[in-house]
Amino acid sequence: MALTLEHVSKRFGSLVAIKDLSLTFERGAIYSIIGPNGAGKSTVVNMVAGSYTVTSGVIRLDAHVVSSLAKHQIARLGISRTYQNLRLFDGMSVLENLEVCFFTDSLPGLFRRGGHRMTKVERLKRCHACLHDFNLADVAENLAGDLPYGRQKVLELARAFVTDAPVVLLDEPAAGLNHTETKEMARRIASLKRSDRAIILVEHDMDLVMSISDRVDVLNHGELLYSGSPDAVRRNEKVQEAYLGTAAELDIVRKLTEGRRTSGGIRAHAGVVRH
Amino acid sequence: MGKSVFLRRTGLIVTLLVCVALLVKVPALPPYYVRVADSILIYIILAVGLNIVVGYAGLLDLGFIAFYAVGAYTYAFLASGQFDIHLPFLIILLIGAGTGALAGILLGFPVLKLRGDYLAIVTLSFGEIIRILINNADDLTNGPQGIAALDRARIFGLPLISPTNFYFLLLILTIVVCGAVYFMERSILGKAWRALREDQDATRGLGINTTGLKLAAFAISAAIGGATGVIFSAFQRFVSPESFTFQESLLVVLIIIIGGVGNIVGIAAGAILLIILPEVLHFAAQYRLLIYGLVLVVVIVLRPNGLIPPAFNLGHVIRKIQALWLSPSNT
Repeated sequence: MALTLEHVSKRFGSLVAIKDLSLTFERGAIYSIIGPNGAGKSTVVNMVAGSYTVTSGVIRLDAHVVSSLAKHQIARLGISRTYQNLRLFDGMSVLENLEVCFFTDSLPGLFRRGGHRMTKVERLKRCHACLHDFNLADVAENLAGDLPYGRQKVLELARAFVTDAPVVLLDEPAAGLNHTETKEMARRIASLKRSDRAIILVEHDMDLVMSISDRVDVLNHGELLYSGSPDAVRRNEKVQEAYLGTAAELDIVRKLTEGRRTSGGIRAHAGVVRH
Repeated sequence: MGKSVFLRRTGLIVTLLVCVALLVKVPALPPYYVRVADSILIYIILAVGLNIVVGYAGLLDLGFIAFYAVGAYTYAFLASGQFDIHLPFLIILLIGAGTGALAGILLGFPVLKLRGDYLAIVTLSFGEIIRILINNADDLTNGPQGIAALDRARIFGLPLISPTNFYFLLLILTIVVCGAVYFMERSILGKAWRALREDQDATRGLGINTTGLKLAAFAISAAIGGATGVIFSAFQRFVSPESFTFQESLLVVLIIIIGGVGNIVGIAAGAILLIILPEVLHFAAQYRLLIYGLVLVVVIVLRPNGLIPPAFNLGHVIRKIQALWLSPSNT
């Protein structure tokens, strides 16, 4: 029971964004996809969520072939996402932003395949519980666009989790957040880990990635460079090269930063290459 | 405290009674005024219907009058000597809503992928195509001569003859349509439409079939247009293509923009202003349209969000009345 990418490729005209990528994401873990700019991280998210079609290969969620479905059908199957740039409904209240996630569940049977019809009471109960979990209860009636940026980020996170989707894609959840907010975000995402859910993260902030991931997949030029635990990734030479250049160049960087380093390995360098 | 609640409550009752009295007393005016009132009600219903597509779903439809035409000709075909079919008025009212909805879906399908300017142009063309079709399908519609001597409408045996009869019929329909549309606005459907208007892609990303959502907006709005067309046709007892020009579509869109997009109270105000204005300006003879245009420009400049502010909508009015009603009156 998992989300799998099988020999997936994506071309944009002559540009090959993803080359023969195969990955498996089991439930019950947090995964991070990292890599230099242009490595194809967001392309993977957009293909899984159905914003892009795959050029070749298959994406499956359990027994369902996801890569041949329309975007809204993929979301109905249980793959939800956040966006690199906030995509909230600014003119609607915080509560309404969550309510619309249950639109299809609230329709009469004729327009909804399977399941029971969700009543307004059930819908509001789910949404209010979610707002409470994400510390947004106090602003339920405020317009989403009026919230400070940090809380908008949290609301988008809440919107991805409110339907209990088994796969949640988070596209740069820490982008634009300050240090404290990023730490808070990391703590929050870690607390959302559940045995029936896979969380897949695309993120540049190495502290965040290394502190909460169970597995880190490193992409470079559209190919899987390395996949392993945060510690293994940190120690891997190929990864260091992709981020910092060849071993010779890396040596120079090492020498330059020698003595000033406090928390060894790539963690210290991450600051240099953060995009 | 208790006294002020009592006073405000009395004020509210008086206001409501005055409103009801004014609405009921309209037929006491000379027939000319009743006809103007009928016209206002027709445009309120049309604009509230079109507002579903334009205001809620955010899709600019410039060919809305086509659905009104479809409804009007539905009555002309089914209640006249044209094909010697004479169905009862209320049945045709339902059929008219149905044919309107069908036309809405037919228009909806090809234009679903379009947005903004492109959608506006295609819907404008659709409106013109329907009018030109009616104008040329001589065998069916008598072309520009139109269809005359339509049946007198009857409701449960009672004939609808005078503008006053139609005034009450339209008043009831206005209340029903406004109530139904307001209910939709508040429901999860209305929220999904607003989401669609703000960000179509993100809406799809939440598992919402935006195609179905747009078709629903087109169909419901067109059904309202169709039903209104049936009443118009039964009222005039004559239809011809010249009632359904692009200017009519534009007028309905203008009512929404001038009144306040997405705001039912605003739309009513917009319809009253835009229908009464040309009547009031009769004295100005050839300068009438000039003044009309100037007034519109002034309204848009002074009140870019419409005559009635978005915060003052039907929900606001209802909440005010509820609050006053439920507040404790410890006198």
